Amino acid sequence: MDSVIIGNLIDLCAVLMLLTSVMAVATTRMRPLIQLFSLQSIFLALVAFIIAWSSGSHHIYIMCVLTIVLKVIAMPKMLTYIMSRIHVDREVELSIGIVGSLLLAGLMIILSYYITEPLISSVETVERNCIALSCSMLLIGLLMMCTRRKAITETVGLLMMENGLFLGALALSHGMPLIVELSAFFDVMVAIIIIGIFAYRINKSFNSVETSFLRRVKE
Amino acid sequence: MTPMEIIVELGQALLLIIISPLMYGIVSKFKALMQRRVGSSIFQPYRDLRKLFSRNEVTSRDCSWLFRGIPYVCMASMIILALVVPFFFTGVLAPFGDLITVVYIFTLYRFSMVLGGLEGGSTFGGMGSSREMMMSVLIEPALLLSIATIAVMSGAGTDMDSISEAIVKMGVAALSPALVLAAASFLITLLAENARIPFDNPTTHLELTMVHEAMILEYSGRGLAMMELSSMMRLTIFMAMMGSLFLPWGIAYDLEPASLLLSLAISLVKMLFMAFVLALAESILCKTRLFKTPNLLTVSFMLSLLAMISLYIL
Repeated sequence: MDSVIIGNLIDLCAVLMLLTSVMAVATTRMRPLIQLFSLQSIFLALVAFIIAWSSGSHHIYIMCVLTIVLKVIAMPKMLTYIMSRIHVDREVELSIGIVGSLLLAGLMIILSYYITEPLISSVETVERNCIALSCSMLLIGLLMMCTRRKAITETVGLLMMENGLFLGALALSHGMPLIVELSAFFDVMVAIIIIGIFAYRINKSFNSVETSFLRRVKE
Repeated sequence: MTPMEIIVELGQALLLIIISPLMYGIVSKFKALMQRRVGSSIFQPYRDLRKLFSRNEVTSRDCSWLFRGIPYVCMASMIILALVVPFFFTGVLAPFGDLITVVYIFTLYRFSMVLGGLEGGSTFGGMGSSREMMMSVLIEPALLLSIATIAVMSGAGTDMDSISEAIVKMGVAALSPALVLAAASFLITLLAENARIPFDNPTTHLELTMVHEAMILEYSGRGLAMMELSSMMRLTIFMAMMGSLFLPWGIAYDLEPASLLLSLAISLVKMLFMAFVLALAESILCKTRLFKTPNLLTVSFMLSLLAMISLYIL
């Protein structure tokens, strides 16, 4: 009975993470998008906390704290700062419309359930449902990176992919070794800083953060 | 059916009808308080309805019998739904409350309201009707799919009363991703179906934005009172469905007086909570442009689709 409740709670948080991903596909304003990312990271931290509490492995607590400090507080702050530096707030045109990308996101979810089915049937832990959910979060993040044109929204897509990856790692193996996790966090942090600088430079040269302008850059 | 059961079931339907103007008043009171206004009394809808019922009905020269008949159709369809939807007791007086019947009685209501809007012969009526039909196409699949998910999850057939009872008996195990996703989808369709704020503003008569108000613009006196009362009943029935299908814990399934009283209290608290959520949503969201409403409704459809998929695969 206890494991049923824990399994349900983990599933609930994972589904809420997926829900924020789907909502991010439908959002075009940047500030709400960043808030959605922050919300998703809160749910990720909750999943980490529940898994740490139920399995008793202490290094997942560290990951939970790191998630809260970096992904809930620091990265959204940094993104908001970049956004205010380059004065953009909304994405006017997407390469596919919102309804189209939502339906594509639905397809991605079905696809990921389909491809993870053999994996799910072989794993017997409480968190096995998270695998399909994390795979669909990865695919939706990729979709967001493909359909968006502004550098900052693409960054949020990348970060959401990364959240999906962490969820998958947590669910499959109760967290990677601590050193791998720390380096993954550091990588993401550095990526954000570099993307921030890039976005600023793109804005300075083209007066816009449309990444499609970069096609014109030729030597 | 014992006489006791019939009395309780009739009582729950009557209660649902009687409190519907009160719920409407409570939602607007919460909304006013959140905006730091005093707001009108929560009993104001009753006074408005009494005033409207005592007035004469004035209709346009060009209207036919259809225009005068439509308020009765709307009232009747909502009264049927009040008899079908469980509120604080899982038994209902009319046990033919199949989920497909319920969804399509809502559609019948909307269809007849659209006809009334067209029949009035004013330009606003036609405009409101066409907008309503556009939204209706998108609302219907999401609404049907979210209730169907709950029915499949409970495994108790398609009757509203047995679905509710089965979910209560499942206990905590029912708190699965499917239930949460279906509830989120149902909440969005609740807002859309009842012409609440991201989709339509229930308090405005501005030409550019009105949808629901445009359709009932030509009604007056008793006809208007019935249209208003039936739309209040629609809101209350939706909230009761939300309470008894998606948060059904606490609802009574046997006829003991103690559990009935407890369930009545819990159900009323749930209604108050939902009125609070509704008012909060209306205060923090802004009305979207008409051509952006399909985005939100597609999200709702996606969520219920996801709920259905997760039932079969998880």
